[in-house]
Amino acid sequence: MSKPIDSGMLQYSPKGAYYEEKDQQFKAVKKMWDGLFDYDRALFALISILNGTGFSKGAMTHKLLSNPVYSETGRELVAVGLDPDFEKKIIEFNLSKQKMARALKNLLMLAGGELHSRVNNSRTRKIILEFLFNRDNKELDSLSVNFKNKLAKLIRHALGKQDLHNILNGDMSLFQKKIGRYNKHAFPVICHLFNRLPLPGGEVRGHFPQIDTYWQAKTAAFMGDIEEFEKLIINLPWRVAMGFRNSYQLAIDKSKIMGTSKMSNKEELTMEAAVKRSGAKARKINYKAQDLYDLWKALYFKHATNEKENVEQISEAIDEKTMKLSKLDFGEGCVVVLDASHSMFGSDKRPMHPLLTGICIIAAIENVEDVFIVGGKWKSLEGSDLKVIFPSGASPIWRGLVDAVATGAKNIIFISDGYENSVDGMFDNIYKHYKNTGHEFNIVHINPVFSAEAKSGTGRKLTNDVTPMPVGNYKYLETEFIFNQMLENTEAVKQLLVQKYKKLIGGS
Amino acid sequence: MASLLERLGFIKELKIGDVQSDKEMTVLPLVGDALGDIASPESIQFRRTTTYGSMQFRNNNHDNPAIVPANMMVRGKQAQDHAMSGSGVVLAASDRLFEDSCCIESSQGGYFSGQNVEEDVLPVGLRKVLLDRTLRTKHSYDKLWGSIRNWLSGLRKVRPSDRAHLRDFFDEPNYKEALENFAAAFEPVEGQIGALILFNGIPVGLEIMPSADHWLAYWKWLIRGCYGSQLIKLKDSGEIPGATMILPEYPEDATPEELKTITTQFIDNIKMSIAPMLESIQVASQDRIESNENMITELIRTEGGGGGDVIIQDSKPVYLSLVL
Repeated sequence: MSKPIDSGMLQYSPKGAYYEEKDQQFKAVKKMWDGLFDYDRALFALISILNGTGFSKGAMTHKLLSNPVYSETGRELVAVGLDPDFEKKIIEFNLSKQKMARALKNLLMLAGGELHSRVNNSRTRKIILEFLFNRDNKELDSLSVNFKNKLAKLIRHALGKQDLHNILNGDMSLFQKKIGRYNKHAFPVICHLFNRLPLPGGEVRGHFPQIDTYWQAKTAAFMGDIEEFEKLIINLPWRVAMGFRNSYQLAIDKSKIMGTSKMSNKEELTMEAAVKRSGAKARKINYKAQDLYDLWKALYFKHATNEKENVEQISEAIDEKTMKLSKLDFGEGCVVVLDASHSMFGSDKRPMHPLLTGICIIAAIENVEDVFIVGGKWKSLEGSDLKVIFPSGASPIWRGLVDAVATGAKNIIFISDGYENSVDGMFDNIYKHYKNTGHEFNIVHINPVFSAEAKSGTGRKLTNDVTPMPVGNYKYLETEFIFNQMLENTEAVKQLLVQKYKKLIGGS
Repeated sequence: MASLLERLGFIKELKIGDVQSDKEMTVLPLVGDALGDIASPESIQFRRTTTYGSMQFRNNNHDNPAIVPANMMVRGKQAQDHAMSGSGVVLAASDRLFEDSCCIESSQGGYFSGQNVEEDVLPVGLRKVLLDRTLRTKHSYDKLWGSIRNWLSGLRKVRPSDRAHLRDFFDEPNYKEALENFAAAFEPVEGQIGALILFNGIPVGLEIMPSADHWLAYWKWLIRGCYGSQLIKLKDSGEIPGATMILPEYPEDATPEELKTITTQFIDNIKMSIAPMLESIQVASQDRIESNENMITELIRTEGGGGGDVIIQDSKPVYLSLVL
């Protein structure tokens, strides 16, 4: 297999890194997608079940759906332990594992979103309609209010203009054939999405109360009835309520909306500062329900703004999440060296991403006995014992190597973007000294600055003996390991992925 | 004879940081407090080109003048790329049109008017051409075209042509990647306001910004666009040999502390051998370019044919950019 591929193909999201523009990354990743797809379509599909970014999975799904399946019987798939329709199951599985906004964006790629070409075939149409409507009324209600425009665009793409026109004009047999087979109550939802008013009243109130509230609130906003509007927004997502406020120029304070309307757990965390700035009463945030990366980000934000509120709760949640995190075992006696030099700040578009990712990766490693930090600047919160390291200065990574070897560690993990300038080549010089004088230890180099070229770019290697592993998200450590093995033994990895498929999705 | 930094009055303000190196390029960071009262780099914005050979900037700061870094260039789509002929001072809360700017993309028409641009500083070789005062102050948009053609001519991956498109170099994927690697290989240190830049141990540039914020804002333009591009050009045309630093050897039974000591001493020695070079830069001439309220811009020529701009505020230097 000619495979200039690495796990970067599952880690891409269209954001620039410190030193690499996003279009350069995209070209490199696309080459990997095309190469693996041409080599082994089944392997390509199976790989997409590993942890990866939503964008990568969307692009891989797009690739699968834009190329017809030639197999007549699917027997050759069954022979390796897969179902004839395993691709569809994988696509559905991947969609179900994404956050809803990302899942919809991935489907919108099929309608030409995010620089992809439009794909419209029976498989595509079926997957879109099944994903949107094969759910209970409560979920569909919330979905159609939260993501009204996205849903409308997807349905227009899946049905086509003519069928959509006919359904909206009451062709119920067509509705039943296309949508009712998944949810027989969904006709008012279609009317809501395409602003076909009045909505069928009884049906809406009975099955879709949020849609009902949406239109009542919109009417109240249109009429300028603030009192009524304020009552209704308690049951509306805050973005929708804010949209009505702005569109109809309602004289209602932002703080009222941010303090009362609905927010998801993640929104409550990411919007904490904005809610406070708006003057709204602080919401009670469930920190323990947040992602580890988001918690670290929130803690760093508190340090950067020197704000102490909720810092203890965030720290506790970080401890709890770290304890519960499933960890990857690199072997006993593991010491980590974290590069905290300036370049670990990352790009302006994703500030602090490499360092925060590095910190989370430490939490995802088993048996860590010691952590050495190279470079950086400590910052503490006034009146608190808590302090965190911020990226700053040069990268004397060789110091980390000396400190780590001095502990007698057998496994040393470097989390670094791999650029050494203080001075160039010093790490390799000391590494070779140790190797030539009988010191036994293994080095793993994890590069948290996602770069599609990280494996081939020699400039980012700390030493020629160690190939860096690009890990742009702490959740992808396992993915990276599977890819590493794949470079040695493709068939064994394929079997491993088939087993994973069976475990996660089921199959013959 | 007093060194350049003494003569200009910078010397007491600066400390020397730990040396950084990446193959042929070495950077000696200069660390110090902010100099003068200069608007933050966020305050100064390139706005547009109004005619060929003009660049307009706006200073949004209402209290302090802003500085446009010497030979800053802008590249963008559907408009002619441009570069400053020198540095620029824009007074508080005002716009300023620099009509002695240069076009650096000969056969592309169109003016910039708010679209996104990529920013850099001209390569050393082209900056040196603009040290000629007559050429620098001349209002002639095509004044750099001949030099750009010459500069591009030695580059192996730029297709030979008669056009003076500097972006033929900056857009070429291999060169682009190499330039980004330069930017990634060096990092600002805390409090850094400037640097001495060397190729194979020979000084090629001296840059001092008004503050650490200014350095943070502009260091990539300098390392990538100005010095990185020149180093690529020199290597490509075989004018500079590849270099490998000979690193220290250690006793077989060296303790961790001994390893650290030997390595630190080695790095300090490099620093100590480079630092005197700062003192060795001598001024050959100093020529006032303009005076604007409390700001004076002078063109410095150094012994050996280098030179650049110094900007003085209330009789104290606040900015220096020299190619050597």
